[in-house]
Amino acid sequence: MEERILKVMRAVFDDTTIGEACSQSNCEAWDSLHHLVLISDLEDEFHVEFEPEEIAQMQDFKTVKEVIQSKL
Amino acid sequence: MKYFIFRNQTVEPLWAGCDAAFSGYGDISCFDREAERLVWFYMVPPGVATQVADEVETYFEKLQLVGRQIPDERPLIVFTLVSTANTLIVQNDRKLLQAIDEFNHRVTDWASGKPNVKVVDFHDFTSRFDKGQLINWKFYFISQMVLNPKLAGEFGIWWRRKERELDLERKKCLVLDLDNTLWGGVLVEEGVTGILIGDDYPGKAFLYWQQALLTLSKSGVILTVCSKNNEADVLEAWNRNPFMVLKKEHFAAWRINWRDKATNIQELATELNIGLDSMVFVDDNPAERELIRQTMPMVEVPEFPKRPYELMSFYDHLVEHYFSIYTVTGEDLNKTEQYKQNAQRAAAQSTFTNIDDYLSSLGMKLTIMPLDEFNLPRAAQMTQKTNQFNLTTHRYSESDIRQLVAERCLVYCLSVSDRFGDSGITGEIILRPCGDKTMEIDTLLLSCRILGKGIEAAFVDTILNRLADNGITTIKATYIKTPKNALVADFYDRMGFTLIGKKDDTKQYILALGEKRTIKKDFYDVTIK
Repeated sequence: MEERILKVMRAVFDDTTIGEACSQSNCEAWDSLHHLVLISDLEDEFHVEFEPEEIAQMQDFKTVKEVIQSKL
Repeated sequence: MKYFIFRNQTVEPLWAGCDAAFSGYGDISCFDREAERLVWFYMVPPGVATQVADEVETYFEKLQLVGRQIPDERPLIVFTLVSTANTLIVQNDRKLLQAIDEFNHRVTDWASGKPNVKVVDFHDFTSRFDKGQLINWKFYFISQMVLNPKLAGEFGIWWRRKERELDLERKKCLVLDLDNTLWGGVLVEEGVTGILIGDDYPGKAFLYWQQALLTLSKSGVILTVCSKNNEADVLEAWNRNPFMVLKKEHFAAWRINWRDKATNIQELATELNIGLDSMVFVDDNPAERELIRQTMPMVEVPEFPKRPYELMSFYDHLVEHYFSIYTVTGEDLNKTEQYKQNAQRAAAQSTFTNIDDYLSSLGMKLTIMPLDEFNLPRAAQMTQKTNQFNLTTHRYSESDIRQLVAERCLVYCLSVSDRFGDSGITGEIILRPCGDKTMEIDTLLLSCRILGKGIEAAFVDTILNRLADNGITTIKATYIKTPKNALVADFYDRMGFTLIGKKDDTKQYILALGEKRTIKKDFYDVTIK
């Protein structure tokens, strides 16, 4: 699951070095538009839907993972 | 920069992977003049239909204003508006549908008089999806995206195809075979009345095909014939077969003989004084097609359908690939008069002659208010989210901002509205006292939504005047470069500040507050609370 998330993140941010420490504050590419694309791609990857409140929370790898886990 | 995209909604995810920059939301006052192509990609926003209709009615004027500012040879690609009745909160509205149709008609007319303007029918894309797929309200509400971001992949594929069509040179001339191409059967075997064209299938398919080709010739495409036949037989067939639509007078030239087709096509090109690269060769015989492909690679040779009923789709294919109206060449027949009429209409319709008129027509209202408990969350959020128009990019939480206030910083929020709506709080400035009469601009930011209308200057000037009234004499300011804020790299220079220091990614400025700074009252109605 971690790998699947990272795979999506690496594709969206176009950066193969992205790891589990990635967050909005340390990743330049993670702006509001890429956030939107990330959310949309994660929804497709895991066949889940995120609520707007969750989308706002998902600002780093850790919360992204937690929110997805809560849905599976 | 390949594309500069004028837009009124969030569309960036659709253009992922393209080298593109975007206008402010609904803004036309500044754009990248060096972009290879300009794209007009407006979408009908959701909302109350009558209000949306009023807004849609302004799009064409805005587009014309853009058209007047770009050089004649710079390509401008205009997406038609799609009647997204499905994205409206309220019931479909006649006035709105009319406004959409009106825009599309006017754009098509306008483009026919401008060789650099090409129109892309966006319905071609949206018609493939149903309403539930086209808009995803969740993404609309969180990011103002009218088109579902999940369609980004499909959009990309569609756009790349459109782009190839746009790049194609329109061909000038069709070279047509006769037997089993323009009619069914072989003339020398069946005779003038035995060939298949007319009422029943397959004759009817050939009849429609000829009628379609006649229409094409009226739009300026040159029709010629290259056929292995006896010329006298063909002349007789043209003359005597009652169902024949395409006759002698519709062909600009022909080679009807028993020589090889390559030689004949070369002769046709010479006779008509056109290049081989503007010819399309249509023949049912694969051997002839192969010969031309091998010997004359510049001539386009499409595959020919195996069954007569496929001729209609084949015709669409021809038009789309070789004779598409995307490139209106300007030398087409009957165009001159149309150009004149359009120019007159454009003159009568346009009410904005320059950017200033446009700005003053917006009725912009700027409201500047000090920080309070209600706007505090938004003030913090903007420091977190704003990247482009952000001079220092200091990120603050709500408690950070409370701390700044405790340190006697001044925090002002800006809210902007115009006749199309209220954008809410979209600007912020934080000033830090340093000494008695000096303040430093700690943070200055504006949401990209309101950029390009000179609001930034009006906002800052108003604040500076207020500070001067309160006895402040000197303002210090800093620009800190980030990967995203190049837009404002020289903002303070433009505002008349003096550069006093430069180190790595930081520029320091100073400004002595003297005379009152003038705010263009015609454009901005500024209130400070």
